[in-house]
Amino acid sequence: MGNGILNGLRVLDFTWVLAGPYATRILADFGAEVIKVQSKKTSRGAESNLTGYFNTWNRNKRSITLDMSHPEAKEIVLKLIEKSDVLIENFSPRVMANWGLSYEEIKVVKPDLIMVSLSAMGQTGPWKDFVGFGPTIQALSGLTYLTSFEKDSPLGVGYSYADMIAGLYTSLAILSALEYRDRTGQGQYIDLSEYEAMCTLMGPALMDASMNQREIFPQGNRPNDIPAAPCGCYKCSGMDRWCVIAVFNEVEWKALCHVMGDPSWTKEERFSSLLKRKENSKELDGFIEQWTVQHSPEEVVQLLQEVGVSAGVVQNGEDLAKDPQLAAREFFVELNHPVLGRTTTDTTPIKFSDYPKARWKAAPLLGEDNRYVYLELLGFKEDDLSSYIERGIIG
Amino acid sequence: MMQAKDPRISFLEGIRILDLADEKASFCSKLLADMGAYVIKIERPGGDPSRKRGPFLGNSPHPERSLFFLYNNTNKLGITLNLGHPEGKGIFRRLVSRVDVVVESFSPGYLKDLGLSFEILSRTNPKLILVSVTGFGQDGPRSQYKSCDIVSSAFGGQMCVSGSPSTPPLKPFGEQSYYTASLFGAIGTLLALKKRAQSGKGEHLDISIQEAVVSTLEHVWIRYFYENIVAKRQGGLHWNNNFCVLSCKDGHILISLHQQWETLVEWMAGEGMAEDLTEERWKEEEYRQRHLDHVIEVVQRWARIHTVQELFEIGQLMRFPWTTVCSPEKVLESPQLKSRGFFVEVGHPEIGTSIQYSGAPYKFDGCSLDRWERAPLIGEDNVQIYQKELGLTENELQELSAMGVI
Repeated sequence: MGNGILNGLRVLDFTWVLAGPYATRILADFGAEVIKVQSKKTSRGAESNLTGYFNTWNRNKRSITLDMSHPEAKEIVLKLIEKSDVLIENFSPRVMANWGLSYEEIKVVKPDLIMVSLSAMGQTGPWKDFVGFGPTIQALSGLTYLTSFEKDSPLGVGYSYADMIAGLYTSLAILSALEYRDRTGQGQYIDLSEYEAMCTLMGPALMDASMNQREIFPQGNRPNDIPAAPCGCYKCSGMDRWCVIAVFNEVEWKALCHVMGDPSWTKEERFSSLLKRKENSKELDGFIEQWTVQHSPEEVVQLLQEVGVSAGVVQNGEDLAKDPQLAAREFFVELNHPVLGRTTTDTTPIKFSDYPKARWKAAPLLGEDNRYVYLELLGFKEDDLSSYIERGIIG
Repeated sequence: MMQAKDPRISFLEGIRILDLADEKASFCSKLLADMGAYVIKIERPGGDPSRKRGPFLGNSPHPERSLFFLYNNTNKLGITLNLGHPEGKGIFRRLVSRVDVVVESFSPGYLKDLGLSFEILSRTNPKLILVSVTGFGQDGPRSQYKSCDIVSSAFGGQMCVSGSPSTPPLKPFGEQSYYTASLFGAIGTLLALKKRAQSGKGEHLDISIQEAVVSTLEHVWIRYFYENIVAKRQGGLHWNNNFCVLSCKDGHILISLHQQWETLVEWMAGEGMAEDLTEERWKEEEYRQRHLDHVIEVVQRWARIHTVQELFEIGQLMRFPWTTVCSPEKVLESPQLKSRGFFVEVGHPEIGTSIQYSGAPYKFDGCSLDRWERAPLIGEDNVQIYQKELGLTENELQELSAMGVI
């Protein structure tokens, strides 16, 4: 499914909710055959096949049903593993081992398998059994604490960013392991910690804390280390409409002043250099907002970008859906879903120059590919399949 | 071909990359260098502008002490080269003929104006993969807009859902838009290499930082497309109302509000703090969601009589996905990160110390990632690359240096 690059690569996918599915979605988008293992019992909430959430994170994949709690499921999984290149799971540690499907047991069947265990904390360590979702990981990594305007009221990022990051790292790790397998014939077991993934994106702040032994405070929209002043988010006309502006040098500052009509405050000594504007940024922001509130964010941004000043519209979900830049690059596309009808999804930020248009498919229905996988791939007889279905192992 | 596992062979050994990227995408080739790719960072004479970015080691601004630069350029070699100079261009094309990948983050059209467009570089090396990471991508009405992290964050939709209703929209801490785009760039690089192995041809990858942000927004546009809901910022309360940040005696805790509700109420009631939440009607999640303010108020009053550590430890024992809202100092103390050896000590002999870095988030059983070399000093590997690899003589190197090319 999807197009080309990873055609022939088969991924057995035991992941659920977001981080894992996002990782395998990237592989599926580029042509891997991703077989998602589901069951009636687990197909609920975010894993319910007929939600927008599921349809977004599981497009281009196949779905089979298999009740892992049944003792006969293990044999079927081992047969699937023999036919697969990659196995990925994001259960809590121990779950795979409890099914008799630890890497040690699996690699006997398929020595060059690449297996990834993606978990909140990693497979080892004193917190390995701790429970964590995206918001938990963001709080643990320092991101929630530092994403705020002041020390005593952490706000954080308004979505499960850490899950997306862990998904990206997981697909990067799988592609690297494939590169290594192509060269050496060796399989691999990968233990990936979402907690650590998020901490890698806090790199300089963690080095600052450890090497400079100083307390690091939240910095709102005016980070200390960004050499820009003004730098911030400003109210515009309209209901809850905002723009951002960042001025990095004197040429840009003069251009901003000119666009604002060179009001007299811009000539004050306290705003006469980047350093001084940074020192007096609170007053500066007040003045700038007096100008921005008279315009829509789109107007402000157009006026400023025309004269070479970095500025942006704070876009919400609706703005993104209608964004002319995203539209020009066909970032959102429509996919037909057999039940949901016409649905919209993102494509991918990984844009190849000479790539044929994606032949993408909406997310699968529950067990949609049972016949293909069990009959064609594993060579079960119709009678065997019926028997598994009757006994509730498949279905 | 089977061979014994050799821990000295790293994953991406043999992949050769030139890194022209500034702060927007230096993390892209760092990810690959940390897994064993051979990466040469090309800086303008005098050094890359991102060396001026704080924080600085010892709080003293200096191009060799930028922690931002050091973090984003581990395991790379470093040379200086003036791409604007005709001699510089010639040398650059010679380097291009010897590598697999070039990563760059100039404004669209900049390399073309220098006579170094993808088409021209492909003539030098038909198998070249050029990875371009820019604010909005190579085309479209906004491709020439000036961008930076806060602009990408705003246009990409991160800010509209971060911050509280009483504050302006808020940019996530750190250059998250750059890191996200760099991750896509690194994944794209490996895909392009795989494609090249099939087709024998190079590729120009066009990564838009805005799109990288939009692609990692979880619920934001899904809710718009499927439910016509325009998501808004709601402070420390997670978008699905399932998690929120509360104050304790000595800091903040992130707690889940609906998981194992009855266990939570029992716990609070045991301490005489459950108030009316013990009543039957609160057992229904739908009812709780409708009267969420009250739920949060009561749980907040209970949380405030505890320390963060108490709630974190007891909560996790009871399988609640709760945690301390950690400051960076607290992250450094994490027994979990320490136990897994996440932080690595990287030697910096010229300043007589080692610096503690965040390591890699993955452990591979058959391959070690234990090579950690600090970022290059300005022009540190000029002799190695220009003399030993390209075969320039010492005299030629001196001349080029005098002309301001190197």
